[in-house]
Amino acid sequence: MAFLDVRGVSKRFGGLMALNNVDMSVEKGEIFGLMGANGAGKTTLFSVIAGHVAPTTGEVHFNGRRITGLSPSRICRAGICRTFQIVRPFAGLSVEENVRVAAIYGSGRGRSGASRDTLVNEALEAVGLTRQRAGLAGGLTLSGQKRLEIARALATGADLVMLDEVMAGLNPTEIGEMLETLAELRRSRGITFVIVEHVIGALMTLSDRILVLHHGERIAFGTPEEIGRNKHVEEVYFG
Amino acid sequence: MKALDIIFGLALAIGGLLVPLSGDAYLMGLVFQLAMWIALAQSWSMLSSTTGYLSLGHAVFYGIGAYVCVLLTGVVPFGVALAAGAAASAVFAGLIGLPVLRVQGPYFVILTYGLAELVRNVVMRIESALGSFGRMIFMVPSFEVLVWCMVALGILATLGAAAVRHSALGAGLAAIRENEVAAETVGVPVARLKLLAFVASATIPGAVGGLALLRTGYFEPAQAFDPVISFTIVTMALVGGTETVRGPVLGALGFTLLSEALWSSLPQLYMIVLGLTLIAFILFVPRGLSGLADRALGRG
Repeated sequence: MAFLDVRGVSKRFGGLMALNNVDMSVEKGEIFGLMGANGAGKTTLFSVIAGHVAPTTGEVHFNGRRITGLSPSRICRAGICRTFQIVRPFAGLSVEENVRVAAIYGSGRGRSGASRDTLVNEALEAVGLTRQRAGLAGGLTLSGQKRLEIARALATGADLVMLDEVMAGLNPTEIGEMLETLAELRRSRGITFVIVEHVIGALMTLSDRILVLHHGERIAFGTPEEIGRNKHVEEVYFG
Repeated sequence: MKALDIIFGLALAIGGLLVPLSGDAYLMGLVFQLAMWIALAQSWSMLSSTTGYLSLGHAVFYGIGAYVCVLLTGVVPFGVALAAGAAASAVFAGLIGLPVLRVQGPYFVILTYGLAELVRNVVMRIESALGSFGRMIFMVPSFEVLVWCMVALGILATLGAAAVRHSALGAGLAAIRENEVAAETVGVPVARLKLLAFVASATIPGAVGGLALLRTGYFEPAQAFDPVISFTIVTMALVGGTETVRGPVLGALGFTLLSEALWSSLPQLYMIVLGLTLIAFILFVPRGLSGLADRALGRG
């Protein structure tokens, strides 16, 4: 069984089929891209995996364990953490406090004080927020708050991190830095990433494999080269 | 500031514990009131200042404690009756907590108020059905003992509030206050922590209600569950400041002294002044007396 195994997941919102029988297998240590136009179901799929939305049918398995129906906090403690496309900082707390809560309660909980500090420091360092750590999270720029989302997810000690459009709103230099950061985190810590991104160039560069969703259905799957050559994807994506 | 807080707190605690030795009834009454409001406002802050879930119904825990205590006085030693009052409040909070804490913002405020009124009316009906219009209790311990107990509760509540704030629990509750969905996402067991804070904030008020009842020697449900108790707790905590452990102490101190000054000369003004002060502080001093103290001492 794959590290993350999504089997036949469907989600119906009233008359809308947001996800229709979607399968997805993510291997340990890979960077897995999710592609699709607005409304394709990418964020819904994230929400199903992270436990924020219960699937109408289907199951999610992680690390050999069924996680469908668990609360988001339990899924986080099992080792999966997501970020939000629309950032949700703890605005009134300092940047460091934001990250520390994640280290206290995430899957890295139960660590000693010193190794918890390490988790916090590494997470801040990875996204380049070390210098702003004492400032209020609400005072960060949008780019800073996007990076804080990632730092928090990392500080939970998650083995699988799901990033929802963390590049949107960043300038090309910042995107370049972010790509390096993610590649480095995979190398050094063996973190598995699932990435939703509108910045297609970034997705193509970073991902080992890409799944394309369209109107909640899986329409293509393969390496970035295969996806790039796929005529069907080209049609629905670029018109 | 921290060292100053500790010295200030120690001075208050020691002063409070020494006053009964003086035998001065007026001073003891004042200390009893002050310690009572500190205990109540600190308890309230364990839930409401940390999570931002503002309870407007804390009188219910005070009232339940008083009721249990009046039923048990004479049957068991008074210390056991007080503990039973505290336990009953805690159990009640545990039972209603899960559904009540699903409601947020102004709805939570209204719900807690409504629940407290509901319980008050239920107890009033039970009592009148039993043909009881107020119960007298005899064999209460000496006033000195009651003052010591109340001061002990004030100290306990303050230490408890400090412990909550500076623990992992406090970090989780702060995250809940700032963004509940994000807190849940980074692993904070939101429902469980909120319930824990709710039960913690209900327990000491139960014992406080019991003690206050033993002091008056008379139980009357409309009085024991008086919503003005809830309003006063919220006002003291907000005026004192919700960001620090020192806030509720300053708020209780300010209002207890103010009410002493007004009761003797202009008792009808007390509620008006309470209301005006609350409005003024919310508009102009959002960080409360505690924030003013920081500024006066040149920090923050």
